[in-house]
Amino acid sequence: MAADTEILHVGIDLGTSRSAISASNGERFVVDSFVGWPADMVARKVLKRDVLIGHEAVANRTMLDLHRPLERGLLKEGSDKDVEAVRELLRHLLRLVGVTGNGHVATENVRAVVGVPAAALRTNKQYLRNSMKGIVDSLMIVSEPFAVAYGLNALLHTMIIDIGAGTTDFCVMKGRYPTEEDQRTLTIAGDSVDQQLLKLIQERYPQANVTIFMVREWKEKQSFVGSSKAKCVVTAPVKGVPTDLDITEEIKTACETLLAPAIETMLDLLSRVEPEFQEKVRNNIILSGGGGLIKGLPQALEEALKQVGGGKVTYMKDPVFVGSDGGLALALDAPEGDWEKLSG
Amino acid sequence: MRVGKINRVKRQLLREAVADNLDTIRGLPPRNIRPAHRISRIWFRRASLAVVPLLVAGSTYLTINGAPPSPPRMAAPKPYVITARAVPLPATTAVPESFERVSASAFPLSVHRIVIDAGHGGNDPGASAASHLSEKEITLDIAQRLRTVLQQNGFDVVVTRGDDRLIPLRERARMANSSDGDIFVSIHVNSVANHNSHGIETYYLGPTNDPTLTRLAADENRTSGYSLADLHKLLDGIYADVRRDESHRLASVIQSQLFDGLRTVDPRLQNWGVKRAPFIVLVATEMPAILAEVGCLSNDRDAEMLRHPEYRERIAEALSQGIKSYAIQR
Repeated sequence: MAADTEILHVGIDLGTSRSAISASNGERFVVDSFVGWPADMVARKVLKRDVLIGHEAVANRTMLDLHRPLERGLLKEGSDKDVEAVRELLRHLLRLVGVTGNGHVATENVRAVVGVPAAALRTNKQYLRNSMKGIVDSLMIVSEPFAVAYGLNALLHTMIIDIGAGTTDFCVMKGRYPTEEDQRTLTIAGDSVDQQLLKLIQERYPQANVTIFMVREWKEKQSFVGSSKAKCVVTAPVKGVPTDLDITEEIKTACETLLAPAIETMLDLLSRVEPEFQEKVRNNIILSGGGGLIKGLPQALEEALKQVGGGKVTYMKDPVFVGSDGGLALALDAPEGDWEKLSG
Repeated sequence: MRVGKINRVKRQLLREAVADNLDTIRGLPPRNIRPAHRISRIWFRRASLAVVPLLVAGSTYLTINGAPPSPPRMAAPKPYVITARAVPLPATTAVPESFERVSASAFPLSVHRIVIDAGHGGNDPGASAASHLSEKEITLDIAQRLRTVLQQNGFDVVVTRGDDRLIPLRERARMANSSDGDIFVSIHVNSVANHNSHGIETYYLGPTNDPTLTRLAADENRTSGYSLADLHKLLDGIYADVRRDESHRLASVIQSQLFDGLRTVDPRLQNWGVKRAPFIVLVATEMPAILAEVGCLSNDRDAEMLRHPEYRERIAEALSQGIKSYAIQR
């Protein structure tokens, strides 16, 4: 266990759906980005807790005032409860890696890098920074795909496509800190796929009782684009009776809503790369984030790349921590002098 | 890449990431859009002084070449800030067919003061969405955000409406003219019959035969405070002057920046282009003027996007980018 005076570096991927933390003491955790407070005295008595976070919060959501504080990868503005929720989420993540009180690492000894969507504005970052005061004081906020690229040493002639729940982020690395023109953010991402899938299932099986949480779980296990030999069969109550539902077509259709905007954005960003480097970038496209696990997606993107001369898309086998690991790499590399400037 | 090179690039990236964070802490805009304020502004102001003789020479040239002499100006002349309205046509004079168009590029202009006009207000809510979100509150919020961004970039900003009140269009134009604004940007939100589509469009002053646009202009002009006779008088003198060319250019860059900036977050956004229409605020203002319809409240998806502060900030950033592009080109 770290001593009181020991500096702990952490990388945090504060995601709309899940948040991950990687720490320099080797600890790594991922939690669902949900925070809930017992809705009333009865719930408090049953749950015996003041606040529930992550999977626990989702599982007990009927008894909670449940909050998902991030929207499209950004902290919702204007809601004190969401600010408090994100603070609880951060406290929880830091506690998991051994920060705060009881002989663990002190808050002032934490050096944190947090990833946000590529298109986050200055005001969004400032708001996040203010909301994190007192929890993480030495803080660097960077674009999420940049953190991914940094962690993978993919710094030159590379494109990162990070498909999260709230946003799909694109970033072309040109050996410099990415500017607005090197990055794009789409709001068509995991959440919009979930919504679409829920709608399609309800259309096909109007009697089935299906929630967005069930749909999300099914999608995460069975998502694909293109053709699939296996059928996607799930179980849901129909008039109270557990029933098998074939949702193969619905999953395919919902997942493929990502394709057109992703392809258009990828090709648009590629066309803005200096002509002599375009081929290199085309052959160095990296898919990260939960969306990177959609079966057939790399192949579909490669198919689209054929119209501009072909290319190669690789995906991260461990996409959950790729952003937080990148943040940790940045945190470890930043000199202590820089952290002093970034504190407070 | 070799390890040595990777480490070099990483060190550089880290320095830039830290600098970007320090800028955020200090409340500065991103480096790539931050103009070199002081030097360029001083240079611009000096250049403005230097072009006074050029303006005189230009006027002489125009007189020799048959262009009508400059009439008395409607507003008191400014000593050094030369704008495209330096050679307006008389408001009551018909424009001869053979009139040789004055190219504004003959005069090196500078853009310092921006007049921002938040459409509607008070008991005129403008368009509204099914969710009761009204045009007047969106335009006011975007105008305030745009003011902040422009001020951070060194522009002087005048707003015609700073709170939720109805200001007649005539009064808005008067405020713009009396404040010596260099350009006028009016912010509106559209509502169209086809609820499935949404897009952005930017208007500059000009005649139109499109009945839809005529109707839209009539709607927007409702609170003008001008009589029909006043309107005809204004329109007669305006359609062929330098200001219209400049307004067209301003509309083009703003439309382009708006579309490029917003399409990244909304790939379904349609580009409805730059159009001409006789909106009163464009008629009565004396500087290059445009009216931007930055969204569509009749479309549920767009209305939802317009509800979010981040998206409004994005619109303000895009408008600011368009204004800066126009100013730089001048």
